[in-house]
Amino acid sequence: MFLALLFLLPLGVAANLRANADISATAEMSQPEINAGDTAELQIRVAGADQAEVPNEISVEGLQIRLTGQSTQVQMDNFKISSSVVYSYVVIPLHTGKFTIPGISIRSSSGTLRTSPVTLSVLNGGANGSQSQSQPAQPGMPGFSQPQVPSAQPAASPPDLDHIAFGEINCPKKSLYVGEMVPVEIRYYFDARYPVQPRSPVDLGSEGIIVERFPDPKQTLEEKNGSTYTVLTFHTLLSAVKPGPLDISPAKFKILVQLPEAAPPGFDNPFFQQIFRGRTPYSEIKELTVNTPALHLDVLPLPKEGRPASFAGAVGQFDIDAMVSNPKPAPGDPANLVVKIGGKGNFNAMGAPVLTDAEGWRSYPPADKFEGSGELSNSGVKSFDFTLIAQEEKKESPGAEFAYFDPVSARYETLTAKPLPLEASPGKVPSVDATAALATPTPSLSPTPQPKVVAVKEGDPIPTVSLRSWKTPVQRPEFLIATLSMLIATAAWAGILHFTNLQKKGGSETSRRRRRMAELLSALKSDHLDAAETYDAALDYATLIPTASEARDSVIAELSARRDVLKYGSGRSVALGREERARLLEKLENLSSSKI
Amino acid sequence: MTRRPSLFLFPLIYLAVASGVASLRASIPEDAASANSALSAGNASSALSTYQLLLDSLQFAKSGSPELWYDRGLAEEKMGDSIASSLSFRRALLLDPTLVPARKALTRVLASLGTSPVAPLVPGWRDQLLAKIHPEAMIVGGALVGWLGILFLVFAIMRVPRRASFIAVALIAIILGHGFCVVGSFIDPRRLAASEAVITAKSAPALRATPADSAESSGTLPSGSLITILSRNGMWWYVADGSGQTGWILSTTATPLLPSSVGS
Repeated sequence: MFLALLFLLPLGVAANLRANADISATAEMSQPEINAGDTAELQIRVAGADQAEVPNEISVEGLQIRLTGQSTQVQMDNFKISSSVVYSYVVIPLHTGKFTIPGISIRSSSGTLRTSPVTLSVLNGGANGSQSQSQPAQPGMPGFSQPQVPSAQPAASPPDLDHIAFGEINCPKKSLYVGEMVPVEIRYYFDARYPVQPRSPVDLGSEGIIVERFPDPKQTLEEKNGSTYTVLTFHTLLSAVKPGPLDISPAKFKILVQLPEAAPPGFDNPFFQQIFRGRTPYSEIKELTVNTPALHLDVLPLPKEGRPASFAGAVGQFDIDAMVSNPKPAPGDPANLVVKIGGKGNFNAMGAPVLTDAEGWRSYPPADKFEGSGELSNSGVKSFDFTLIAQEEKKESPGAEFAYFDPVSARYETLTAKPLPLEASPGKVPSVDATAALATPTPSLSPTPQPKVVAVKEGDPIPTVSLRSWKTPVQRPEFLIATLSMLIATAAWAGILHFTNLQKKGGSETSRRRRRMAELLSALKSDHLDAAETYDAALDYATLIPTASEARDSVIAELSARRDVLKYGSGRSVALGREERARLLEKLENLSSSKI
Repeated sequence: MTRRPSLFLFPLIYLAVASGVASLRASIPEDAASANSALSAGNASSALSTYQLLLDSLQFAKSGSPELWYDRGLAEEKMGDSIASSLSFRRALLLDPTLVPARKALTRVLASLGTSPVAPLVPGWRDQLLAKIHPEAMIVGGALVGWLGILFLVFAIMRVPRRASFIAVALIAIILGHGFCVVGSFIDPRRLAASEAVITAKSAPALRATPADSAESSGTLPSGSLITILSRNGMWWYVADGSGQTGWILSTTATPLLPSSVGS
């Protein structure tokens, strides 16, 4: 145990050193100069920490800088543990020139840090206008998905980019109403022979539409035109905000694709081809933007005819349900009316139902909560929780009305929820005593933990002050001490009762036996008894000796025989002789001293 | 023999006094009365500063006053700080779940914040019991009855000749008393308060999948809502909201339900 502590101690000290170590942040470019069209990497290293907050994007005129990932390093040097976290950014120049990336603010557990500025020169030489970089393949490059079809190795000749990646967009409806949510499926095909890494989320932004956040895509393998493609399928919802023809721009998806490249001069002979078994060790990483075709939709306006007054933008197909959470609140207490709108439609944009027959109630804007039934937000149940406080005696809750536009029937519908049983009454006026207490707001102590009814007007301070612990009794040492005291007291109580029981019985069996033996011995030593009575007493004494043995049994037999002679013979009332008494006492004492 | 009852009365009294409430060793300053007067007169700012001073004082470092936290919440509400007042009302209810004005005020404040009300849609037995009886009374009263049952059981076994009915009564007292004590401990909101916090950021913070600003957001937590802290990682907390949804938030967007002087 002690040795273990000796070993653990330095580790604890080291951990402590680590906890108190200085935290510093540095920024570093992978290369100070790059050609236009190439990309560079910016690394921010935060030493002495395993977590920090860094910006996702860094804004520099002429550069696009985005966070791509992070890694953590832990080192142990001379029993000193240090950790650092490295945040990697990809830097894409938008034009040539010399750029200075200013100091970047980083938030860590020890406060805010700032890196030193770094510079990057973007040169014109060697640029071909495309955003690509050519470099030897880096084995295990993070983020690149490996080809899922190992059959054919990619050829060293440049492949046709249009066939490597392309997209499709499908919408089941060609015309829709303003606010109507229609599902859209976007499929991106990637030639399965080339590793691909996504660079940015799918961009389906166009003026006049609202697109829901894309859930995670489904990945499948499909054969198309004799090639195997990895297919990413995105499902989302789209709604239009204004009527008229709508042209939706192609959905863009930026990726990095690893393409084979011809070997440099000197490495393209059969010797190297044999070494690499026909595979080219050289490849280029190219950034591609994969587009779907454009989409044309006709957006119809919501009709003005028949629009209910309670319509608040809901488009879809819905039903309504209502419930009262507490049908008998105490006087003045709030009740809750929960109106549930379920079905399929634009839950994100819909307004709350309208309360009807709400006279005599004070209500607040409802809290709403949506529970979806799928990965998209156009189906589920939205609950509107109205808090109601009765201003007069009430027997039932308000009703609720909800209007929506049904794009299938192309007309407005109105759903109603009838009032529900609800017995509520306003709060009572404080009693005379309570009013008097309010008039003299002298704080008083009320150490009793019993619940109390505080008669104060709503919004007025409570004049009394009581103290309560922040911890429940079982978490407090006093309770544990008191419980321990009770255990000890119970044990003492049981002990005392047992002792008094013994006292009533004259003590324990042993003590009673000892007492009797002492009495008999005392009688034997006196000369008040005649010979027979003396042997009677001696026989009782020998019988009381607890452990049975041959010696005791022979003494008892001897005493018994002598007693019978004395009792029934001639010497019945004769006093015992001095010598015989002395022998008898010696015999009994020897017997008791060896056995008791 | 006449001293024997007092011998066993001592731990019972100690149990009641020690576990009932935190002992009050000094008188409450006159400041509370003056702050109440200021608040009633409409001077919420002055009242609030007095309440803050009082509740930050050493006297209230380990114990709290539900009434003072309620009064402070009222002052904050009148100052227009609904989020801070929701925290104060929650602390008042933590100390005394039967404090009806605090429950009403919290419902009112949360409604103004657009957050779900404090009362659940369908109050469970736990909430109904909490509204009727203080858990402290259940715990201490139950423990007292239970221990008296144990003492009576010992007496019945030791002294009563025809003891079956007496033993039955003692066992019922033990089971009921300690059962109440256990139930009271279970429903006491203070039991789990060390791992609870209230969203106090002005704008609803996002619930993120990982402890990073760039992580995907699975929703937001409305201001004033109660959360449970499941774990901590630097400045980030892994939390669960009332509906069981979990995620990471920055610790600066929420305030622990227990005041900092209490610790965890």
